[in-house]
Amino acid sequence: MTTQPYVLIVEDDDWMAGQHMRTLQAAGIRSDHAGHALAAIDAIDTTIPDVLVLDVMLAGPNAFTLLHELRSHADLSKIPVILCTASADQLPLEHVAAYGVRRVLDKTTMLPGDLVAAVKKAVL
Amino acid sequence: MQGSSEGIKKGDSSELLSALPFIVTASHELKAPLALVRQLALSLQAGTAGETEQIARQIVLTSERALRLTTDLSRSSRLDDGLFELEPLNPQQICEEVAHELMPLYTARGREIRVASRYRPMLAVANRDLLRRIMMNFADNALHYAADDLPVEIRAATRAGGEKIRLTVRDYGPAVPVDMWQRLQANIGTGAQTMHARPQSSGLGLYVAGQFAQAMHGRIGATRHRDGATFYVDIGASTQLSLL
Repeated sequence: MTTQPYVLIVEDDDWMAGQHMRTLQAAGIRSDHAGHALAAIDAIDTTIPDVLVLDVMLAGPNAFTLLHELRSHADLSKIPVILCTASADQLPLEHVAAYGVRRVLDKTTMLPGDLVAAVKKAVL
Repeated sequence: MQGSSEGIKKGDSSELLSALPFIVTASHELKAPLALVRQLALSLQAGTAGETEQIARQIVLTSERALRLTTDLSRSSRLDDGLFELEPLNPQQICEEVAHELMPLYTARGREIRVASRYRPMLAVANRDLLRRIMMNFADNALHYAADDLPVEIRAATRAGGEKIRLTVRDYGPAVPVDMWQRLQANIGTGAQTMHARPQSSGLGLYVAGQFAQAMHGRIGATRHRDGATFYVDIGASTQLSLL
């Protein structure tokens, strides 16, 4: 990909989302933030992201509701997803890969570089 | 306290097993703020954060939130001691104290908290510290689900012909799905279970709030709205005012 990838971060904690955005921005990656699944659907309707960075436990409909919704649309079902969660130990990649999940990042142990590397790998 | 690890003796596997869900939920509850503090600190360490002062402030406020939870947990484990004295107090003042204490956190998060005004005096019978902690818990929970442009509102009102006082925290945000709400209603105050519809403040906070309310002969509850939720605590009203 020659242009900068565009990442949509779906995260209900504004400060955690801000942290992800700073990290991506420092790596030259554009990003935007949706605070819950419904806001994410609205944002995706406007601009389809190259990568979705998705928290699992969201306020209101959770991440899997959003993933089901995306799977039901041909043009959205191919968006690579990176789950970024504090419950990574309960979500083995092989259990969620069918949802388009490329990587599961553990918020409690990840380093800022892990997010950048995961995004770059997802858009390759 | 049900499910507390306090008093577990070595080799007493049945007590340990009964405490496990509580411990698991408590661990989960503390994970979110600790993970955030760690990420923010990593950002400062790497020097990638332009807004150093703002991030340092976020670390302080997030740490304080985690510390409030640990204080509540240790307080709830001592409820059986029966040392919580009930006294006549002004519930409106409690609402104002809670709003005042959480104002810095709300402001930093770009949210607003306000107290509904009340002209008629009320007097409740409660323990000041426990009632404050219940309301802090509700208001802290609401912080994460309030829409950016709508305030969280704290209110005190009389109920049941003046025999009860109800303190409420109303937030406006995405509606909690019905199935999750039913699960919440089934669990409210009776068990420490993660409430996935409101992950930032899981069922543990509600569980502790329920324990605190019971210690004051009160109860907590919640009402689901199309655009958010109201969490409340009902406590007894004092008859002292009517004697004046």
